[in-house]
Amino acid sequence: MKKSLRTLCRLLLLFALFSAMPSASGETLPLSGGVLRWRDVGDPPKLDPAGPGDTSSGRGIYLMFETLVENAPDGERLLPRLAESWEGSEGGRVWTFHLRKGVRFHSTIRGRPSANGGREALAADWKYSFERLVRTKSPRAYFVDMIQGYKDFAEEKASEWTGIKVVDEHTIRFELDYAFAPFVSILAYNAFVVVPREDAERPGADFSFNPVGTGPFILEKWEHDQRLVYTRNPDFWMRDAHGSSLPYLDGVEIVIIPDDTIAYEEFKKGNIDVLPELPDEFYADAKQRFGDLLQGRPMLGVYYVGFNCAKPPFKDNRTLRKALNYAVNKQAMSDYLLEGRYAPSRGVLPPGVPGYSPDLEGYEYSPETARKMLAEAGIREGFQIELVVNNNLRHRTVAEGLQGLLAEFGIDLRVSVVDWGVHLDLVDRGETQMYRMSWIADYADPDNFLYVLFYSENRGVKGNYSYYSNDRVDELLVAARVETDFDKRMALYREAERIIVDDAPWMFLFYYTTSLLGGERVKDMRLPLFGQHATPLEAVWIAR
Amino acid sequence: MNATAKKTGAAALRREAWVRFRRNRLAMAGLFMAISVILAAAFAPVLAPYDPFKQLIWTQGGEVRLAPPSAAHIMGTDLYGRDIFSRILHGARISLQIGIFATIVSLLVGVPLGAAAGYYGGFTDDAISWLINVVFAFPFFLFIIAVVAVFQNPSMSVIYLAIGLVNWVGIARVTRAQFISLREREFVEAARALGLPDRRIIFGHILPNALAPVIVQATMGIGGIIMIEAGLAFLGFGAQPPTPSWGLMISDGQRYLGIGKWWWAVFPGLAITYTVLAFNFLGDGLRDALDARLKR
Amino acid sequence: MLSYTLRKLLYFIPVVWGVVTAVFILLTVVPGDPARLLMGQRGDPETLARIRADLGLDLPLHRQYIRFIGDLARGDLGTSYRNNEKVSTAIAERFGATLRLAFWAMILASVIGVAAGILSAVKQYSLFDYSAMFIAVAGVSAPVFWVGLLLLLIFAYGLRLLPGVGYGDGSWRYLILPVITLGTRPAALIARLTRSCMLDVMNQDYIRTARSKGLAERTVILKHAFKNALVPVNTIIGTQVAELLSGAVLTETIFAWPGVGRLAVEALVARDFPMIRGTVIFMALLFLATNLLVDLSYGLVDPRIRYD
Repeated sequence: MKKSLRTLCRLLLLFALFSAMPSASGETLPLSGGVLRWRDVGDPPKLDPAGPGDTSSGRGIYLMFETLVENAPDGERLLPRLAESWEGSEGGRVWTFHLRKGVRFHSTIRGRPSANGGREALAADWKYSFERLVRTKSPRAYFVDMIQGYKDFAEEKASEWTGIKVVDEHTIRFELDYAFAPFVSILAYNAFVVVPREDAERPGADFSFNPVGTGPFILEKWEHDQRLVYTRNPDFWMRDAHGSSLPYLDGVEIVIIPDDTIAYEEFKKGNIDVLPELPDEFYADAKQRFGDLLQGRPMLGVYYVGFNCAKPPFKDNRTLRKALNYAVNKQAMSDYLLEGRYAPSRGVLPPGVPGYSPDLEGYEYSPETARKMLAEAGIREGFQIELVVNNNLRHRTVAEGLQGLLAEFGIDLRVSVVDWGVHLDLVDRGETQMYRMSWIADYADPDNFLYVLFYSENRGVKGNYSYYSNDRVDELLVAARVETDFDKRMALYREAERIIVDDAPWMFLFYYTTSLLGGERVKDMRLPLFGQHATPLEAVWIAR
Repeated sequence: MNATAKKTGAAALRREAWVRFRRNRLAMAGLFMAISVILAAAFAPVLAPYDPFKQLIWTQGGEVRLAPPSAAHIMGTDLYGRDIFSRILHGARISLQIGIFATIVSLLVGVPLGAAAGYYGGFTDDAISWLINVVFAFPFFLFIIAVVAVFQNPSMSVIYLAIGLVNWVGIARVTRAQFISLREREFVEAARALGLPDRRIIFGHILPNALAPVIVQATMGIGGIIMIEAGLAFLGFGAQPPTPSWGLMISDGQRYLGIGKWWWAVFPGLAITYTVLAFNFLGDGLRDALDARLKR
Repeated sequence: MLSYTLRKLLYFIPVVWGVVTAVFILLTVVPGDPARLLMGQRGDPETLARIRADLGLDLPLHRQYIRFIGDLARGDLGTSYRNNEKVSTAIAERFGATLRLAFWAMILASVIGVAAGILSAVKQYSLFDYSAMFIAVAGVSAPVFWVGLLLLLIFAYGLRLLPGVGYGDGSWRYLILPVITLGTRPAALIARLTRSCMLDVMNQDYIRTARSKGLAERTVILKHAFKNALVPVNTIIGTQVAELLSGAVLTETIFAWPGVGRLAVEALVARDFPMIRGTVIFMALLFLATNLLVDLSYGLVDPRIRYD
């Protein structure tokens, strides 16, 4: 009797041990609890999703609000978020979305009950949210100006946005002025979220400082210039594969540390869990010390210097433009000036955007070709050109580097550092010769790059700062907007890009990269293509 | 008092002041330091071992990127492989140019206004004093930034102008005080009795006697101006790259302090301190030397 | 006394008006459209026009000016373009930080400056005197932002004794470096002035009389000499306070101190017109008010001045 009891105990002990050990596949089960401390450089100016987007605000908005669809972490696809499914009809002119049921608004905000009381978000709320963008004169509203009735509603000639139709409580339909294939991917942009009317219009509680959404985290405290504290949304709809409710974390704390050196020190000491956008100077050290914990990837953005093709010396002077492209040693610039962080680019579209051409030839650094073409273009020693950049350390560095580089070819590059407002003003009006600019994608579609930046009707403030105009390119871009066959669309964009690169309206420099350094105990955090501020945190957990 | 007597009297006073100045060790130190800066500025192209604009990384690679002080580069190199010592020498030109031109602007604006206020008194004085107070009350740094921002692409002349437009206040005040105290003196009354026109009295009689404290103020002001320019460049509102402005160099170099590459930010600061120190000693010395003259 | 005060006050008003108008003029001339900035990089002309109308930027200038003066009179400094915060609120939130910094910098500067000045005067021509005065001149000659960076380099990044930039949790450790940086220049000025005033006073007859009466040296210095040297020293402390309060712009920028000075620079860069106007006017008024108080305190301290 005693023997079999001992055997039973031994078996039980073994069983206990086995169940405590990780399973054979090496998978650990996520733990609930813990607060993730995420560093930011400065206070977000506004947390209203209708506001202009900067990354600090973006970080908060992604925590609190949700869109109908979202980008897959590696781009290339759209995933359902608050819309379970959708379909396009009439060749892409009408889009119907079926909303997920049981999605509730936050019931508290900054420690007090919210005005909406934690009710369900319905189709009518979505219509309200879209209309609100126009009413608050959001700079992003016009992304979707192709929804019928935009103009009348914006000019206050109509009292509602007629193109948005509430079919029933969980179905919403958008009717566009024309078939527009990228429409659904625009809706992944974080301005197109659902907000509750009661809180958005609550008197005495400015929505920018009291944001209420449906997302995994709720804003509990905001100590300006010091920290933002977000707590877990207990009514969040999402569950993990095992059915447990998300998020795992108890909360997220955005800690504001302006000093980069100190932030890095704090991270090393373990007082900060996540360091986004590690400054260049520390990159080498971090790579060595932390290895894979430092995630980095190209982001959906390009960094370039544009030529003003409407004025001399670049007007009608393709040879000069191409020569300058051959003259830049992009790899060396990236290595010496940017700690090797930025990837040299060959064209316009960065990797991750559908339609990206990996085999695009681009302009490989070739000083001999450059010299030859400069001579062809009649450029002599001491030739002066002006480059305008805005007052940002990274841009000044790149500009100064370009100066030294081009000096080797006898070109006198004058750098003009102005502030951002003046910079925008100058490029809007086409008053520059060369200008530095970046373009970060709003949505993962080549239309967002090529159409905005190179379509001739967009010259000036709409984005075509190079004042580039090519009839064939225009043709291709317009056709691609209404082409519903995916492969045919991409082919059109590829050809357009090829022509653009050949015309060299830009000095093609780099693809943006984004980085995220997470502490050892932070698990399942993956840096998405859209940037560190979009890193989803609902499935992230902290190991003990 | 005939002309000859006036002249000998003035010359004797000047010689006295000079003797007093020479005896003041700090003043002499200041003089020599200032001269050294002027010489460095004047002969920078000759004295500098490298071209201050030549970026060596493109031809020599990563070794000369942020290299610490060595035999080849006694103050090290910056991010682009430029020799810091050469840039500091050329930077002296920028600083002195600013100091001189902004001072000239301040004098051109401040002296006439101060003189008018002090001499005529009454409403002129009230109006000009009001203007002085308004400009003085402005947080001057912001004012200069705003003025610089008015011109989209600030060239150095714009910066001289901007600084001069704020700095004239100190000079105007001193001038005004001098004129107020001097206008009641006998020699002025004598000149008026003679029927001389106002302008001759102001420029011919009062001004030469009023000059001493104005010169002191202007000299001390040069140091201040150099610092203002450095501050502007530091904030990004001053000299544009690749100008070897000392303030700009500190601004560029500061982010490397955290990883121990200190030379880019520290040496320009030393240069500024040295130069400003020079003019402060000089100014102090001038004041002490001319002080006895004033007391008479 | 009353007429003196009244005259001072009366003089105050036109200066304030001058400052306010100058700010307005300056900002209308500064290029860079705030509406354009608000819109962000991607924009379209229609939204731009609507934003401009919203901000009242399409009104004729004189109408904008009248609106501006009217708002000011009601104490309404406007609303920030960047985040719709009321300018007065933003300033109020930040002023505490600036005040704290300026206050401690002033205490530090006064204590060290006066002490060094007295000691130097008493031990004139000694090693202490020369070193102290040399340091003082150096303190006035070294650029404020460079000193700040050096202190950061040595104490925060190097020796790791002190935290880096920022307000942190508000503890005094974050205050040390900015206070030293900001206080260096006033300390130097005060030291020099105290020394020269003390020297002037100490050579006077009544001091010799006090000494010959057999009073302890320390009493002579502190009770008689220093008290009389106090007046000009008082002035300079007063003006320094005014200068410090009106925005230690450089110090706040380097140390990422959440004060009014830094707010002003950020506003300038962002072309946030209401914020720029608000902060500049605020600082100017503060400066004038402080100077006024110092002037008035003269009237109290020195009876001769009252009958000016």
